[in-house]
Amino acid sequence: MEIDHSQPLEYSTEQNRLNILGFWIFLGAEIMLFATLFASYFTLVDRTGNGPAGAELFEITPVLAETFLLLTSSFVIGLGIHAMRIGNKKAMLTFFVITLLLGLGFIGFEITEFITYYREGATLQTSAFTSILFTTLGTHGAHVTLGLFWGLFIILQVKKRGLTPETANKSFIFSLYWHFLDIVWIFIFTFIYMKGMT
Amino acid sequence: MNMKELFPAKQVWGFVFSLILTFVAILVYFFNMSKATGMTIFILTAFIQAAVQLVVFMHARETDDSKSIFMTLYCAIFLALITVFGTILCMIWGWSY
Repeated sequence: MEIDHSQPLEYSTEQNRLNILGFWIFLGAEIMLFATLFASYFTLVDRTGNGPAGAELFEITPVLAETFLLLTSSFVIGLGIHAMRIGNKKAMLTFFVITLLLGLGFIGFEITEFITYYREGATLQTSAFTSILFTTLGTHGAHVTLGLFWGLFIILQVKKRGLTPETANKSFIFSLYWHFLDIVWIFIFTFIYMKGMT
Repeated sequence: MNMKELFPAKQVWGFVFSLILTFVAILVYFFNMSKATGMTIFILTAFIQAAVQLVVFMHARETDDSKSIFMTLYCAIFLALITVFGTILCMIWGWSY
């Protein structure tokens, strides 16, 4: 394995560079996944049947809390990668733990939100609108949940093995995934919640 | 440990900027404005914020694979826009001739 010290650790081997590019291509496919969900959402948003419409269902406070939590977590994991690049393992792990806690807070708010919707009579089967709403939000939420476990395992591995070209590469790829989920949330926040409430 | 070293200005400003963009999008909720104005603000704030994430936080422009990353992204975004607007055109807007 040839290590190029002029590059950041996560880019230092050919395998690492290919892993990162491969993950970007995966994110390209993820963009398409969410594009199909948004396409369906825009098609079905007015088919509310006897159920509630978005304007009746959505509440600004939990949505803002979720947005703030996810935006901040995306910033914090960016600091984590920066700390990794200057070789500060302790700071990196601290930032990664904070990131996951913020992500956990996000999931907490989202679950509470889903329970509220359920109590207000909006379930997956209520109308075409609630079906696509829960499917879109749920797909994003499932990604975040997966990210929590992935991130936890990354933290444990870095703790155990230290910062090596492999662990740095995995951490960087995880940070790409986490930032990507924040981008998807920005679009959900804007085109589902804000558009639905105005 | 130098705390300043852990908070690079570029990322802090990136975060501040995304908060401002979010705040601008929220303004549409609190102020009455036309549907077209609101939608324009939404599209601008969402896409600028996505770009901030890509460039500031995901380091998409910093390494040798930058060209490949952006080709992948442009391809995916192109397909995504065709899918979304194509679907809206077929299912909602319709086409009269």
